[in-house]
Amino acid sequence: MSYYIERPRYSCALGGAMATVQALPRTIPILHAPPGCASNTAWTQAGGCGLQVGGYCGGLSMPGSNVQEREVVFGGAERLEEEVRNCLDIMDGDLYFILTSCVTEIIGDDVRAVVNQFQANGVSVISAETGGFKGNSYTGYDLVLSSIWDQFVPVAGQPVKGKVNLWGIPPFYDVFWRGNLAGLRQLLLSQGLEVNTFFTVDDSLEAIRQAGQAELNIVVSDVYGLGAAQYAWEKHGIPYLTSPLPVGPSASSEFIAAVGTALKLEKTTVDAAINNACRRYYQLLDPMTDCFNDLDLQRYTVIIGDANYAVAINRFFIEDLGWLPQLVVFTDIVNPEQQTQLAAKVARLPSGVQPKTIFSTDTNDIRRQVKEYWHSRQSSCGKYSNPLSPSFVIGSALDRELAKDIGAAHLSVSFPVANRAVIERGYAGFNGALRLIEDLISVIIIGR
Amino acid sequence: MNYFDQKEPPRREARLGACIACGGTLNKLAKRKMTCCLPDGERSFTQNSICLLLPALGMMNSITNSVVLMHGAIGCGSSSHGGNAAVRSGNTHRWGVVKDATWLSTALSEHDVIGGGEEKLDGAIREIDERYSPQIIFVVSSCAPGIIGDDIDGVAQQLQPDIKARILPVHCEGFKTKIWASAYDAVYHAIGRTFLQEPSEANQVNRLEKPTINLMNVSSMGRVDEVELERLLDALGFGVNIFPIFTQPDKMAAITRAQLSVSTCPTHDDYLLQYLKEKYAIPYVLRHMPIGIENTGLWLRDVAKHFGLEQQTEQFIAAEEQELKVALAEFKPFFAGKKAFVSAGEFRALSTAILLAELGFEVVAVRSFHHDEFADSEYEKLMKVTAEEIPVNIANCQPFEEANLLRRIKPDLFLGHMNGNATAAKSGVATHVIYNVGLQYVGYKGAYELARRLYRQLQNPQFNRQLSRWLPLPYRSSWYEADPFTYIWKPEVE
Repeated sequence: MSYYIERPRYSCALGGAMATVQALPRTIPILHAPPGCASNTAWTQAGGCGLQVGGYCGGLSMPGSNVQEREVVFGGAERLEEEVRNCLDIMDGDLYFILTSCVTEIIGDDVRAVVNQFQANGVSVISAETGGFKGNSYTGYDLVLSSIWDQFVPVAGQPVKGKVNLWGIPPFYDVFWRGNLAGLRQLLLSQGLEVNTFFTVDDSLEAIRQAGQAELNIVVSDVYGLGAAQYAWEKHGIPYLTSPLPVGPSASSEFIAAVGTALKLEKTTVDAAINNACRRYYQLLDPMTDCFNDLDLQRYTVIIGDANYAVAINRFFIEDLGWLPQLVVFTDIVNPEQQTQLAAKVARLPSGVQPKTIFSTDTNDIRRQVKEYWHSRQSSCGKYSNPLSPSFVIGSALDRELAKDIGAAHLSVSFPVANRAVIERGYAGFNGALRLIEDLISVIIIGR
Repeated sequence: MNYFDQKEPPRREARLGACIACGGTLNKLAKRKMTCCLPDGERSFTQNSICLLLPALGMMNSITNSVVLMHGAIGCGSSSHGGNAAVRSGNTHRWGVVKDATWLSTALSEHDVIGGGEEKLDGAIREIDERYSPQIIFVVSSCAPGIIGDDIDGVAQQLQPDIKARILPVHCEGFKTKIWASAYDAVYHAIGRTFLQEPSEANQVNRLEKPTINLMNVSSMGRVDEVELERLLDALGFGVNIFPIFTQPDKMAAITRAQLSVSTCPTHDDYLLQYLKEKYAIPYVLRHMPIGIENTGLWLRDVAKHFGLEQQTEQFIAAEEQELKVALAEFKPFFAGKKAFVSAGEFRALSTAILLAELGFEVVAVRSFHHDEFADSEYEKLMKVTAEEIPVNIANCQPFEEANLLRRIKPDLFLGHMNGNATAAKSGVATHVIYNVGLQYVGYKGAYELARRLYRQLQNPQFNRQLSRWLPLPYRSSWYEADPFTYIWKPEVE
């Protein structure tokens, strides 16, 4: 066990929960927390999320009980009740979502009692227990989704054919969440499915309320949102399919096929759709063929990312782009079982290229390990040497120093993304992979 | 009683009677010395705010050869992802080298919260000392350890003999105060207890030859603002020792060898300057903020008076003001009569409001994050340059009150703090950030640069206007009809 984490590439459960609730349509988060949790999130977003902060009710607009010593000593439920009551008069939302914090979890306020009291009066209010010590921002994301399935979505009698829910992409902590969700949504819409993705501008609370009618929940992550999927299976009887975040034609084709199999779609139709998407992808890529080859744009790479991106980008590089990942670094806190599972996703790819896998949460430790590996791989013979060059580091903004150390180009994709502005850019699916190629190569040729 | 003998500094609510909830008009508030603003006054509806941890991290992350160890849940301190940009640029501007901040977290789990986190903290300090070899390890306590009773001071004291770095415990439990300016006290307290304990005689012999001034900067000024103040002080013949941001631990004690300490903001520095005065007999100046033309002059005169340099300072100020006046002539007709609304930390808001009036704007409303007695004089100054009936709102952010006021007042321009401009922007008002360490605000140069930026900004506020057409604020329409101060507790007697 390590005693600390250096520069954690996530926030706490509450931080992730706030970001997730901010992304829900017309939803007002209400924090039962001391004053700083909200601004901590706002500053984290400003620095780590490609300049995206809040939304309809984010930043310092989020109502909150601002608990102090008085509440710590005497309990904060009364203060929360007052806060919610006045909030309903002022804040214009269709759903009010109470989130608890370390302080209010430790003092043991009965938040559900407050929720029940308002619900009894017909107010659309739900809650999640998101004390920061419960885990990181991905845990918070999962807890919010589970609460939605628990308290907001009624159990439906009968599934509706062709209706699916998709998640596994945490708002803000996947900096490209909007684009990724929109890209995958589009992919499934083109299969004739009805898709609820919860957090895009094309989603609505009404559609989320009907999420229980889905015949399948699709989680595009090996780690994030699995708790909610399990809960929805247990309470609502909706089966779920998990898939790594699909980036690029190989992974996306497999993703479409997997969804098709799970939903028992007509195989010839699914195959035709895959075929069509791949052809379209390569037609778009076609005019870059000359320059891609003439400029010698293949790279040795280091991939540093969260559980979603590390797997997804490695696969895209190896199977589609023909790059050479040497090291894949997972920066999440994962248990041994998850380690084995994630390492397998990196190792067993059809083309046989096999990068080394590292699990480390600490930026300086990653930097040290990568440098050591890079130096160990510099065979030389007289005036001839064969270093791992040219190279590319795809990671977070924290990995810029490492990239400098090994003389590599660099692109921030995984949180924190301090040095890019992101609105609806996404890397998932077929089109997303084309965006990624644009971004990678634009970095390489910037001095041209 | 010497505060620095205690483990933690006192709450500002107690030490200064600082408050966060008040609404009224300028003349009422100023003349009655904010009597409606009760200590521990509050609202019955609140939006979230900032806690002292955030500004404290802004200071600590800048200190050279230091690391910040957050003792708390894994999210406390993730704001450093935002603060890191200022650390990178600050290091670049000062040393010509890009360098990230290094912060770490003990990442307390549910298990730790139940069983206590001291053991983990102990292990973390030992390992960090070994692996990072910093000169300082700031050990920062957030809410959770504050409630479960982890004794960070005890752990630090016990470990110090085994640790090469100096361990500085810093108390940033967010549930203990609503005045986040307490952050400055918390960090100063830690530095004072560790680095400023030598007896004053030891420092006397090292008095520097050129009269040197401690110029306090808790990160409210970027390097570009420091340069302007150095220019002004240099012109009067002073050396400048900037403290505490971006200082090197070895050089911290230099602060005890200056002839005078000068604050740029009474909200920031009174806690440490009083200590330096008592312990090292270093007098201090803590009255005006060098933002604005008149205020920059007043600030300089205070310094000059201490050294008996009044006459040459008057000449210098007159020359500076004359040069600036000519330069500003280009902008003034454009600004004339435009309505400006200002919101920020109390001194920053007031001095900037006065500057805007000097530039020709009509100041129509002011919001201050908190109020304490230091600012009484600024309200008096503001009343001389603006209408007496304008709304004044003491609020630790609370954008719902701001949205209401904006709807009523319809200003042409809004100046708000970082993360405090979105409400005005979505209301369609031209905005400008009142504090950003990449931009210049301070002194005569700052006045000109701010004017130059406002001149640019006001030429095309279309971005915000279009936002307001399409992005509603999250408030019910009925809220805009209500008194903006409805939810502030009213005192029994006004």
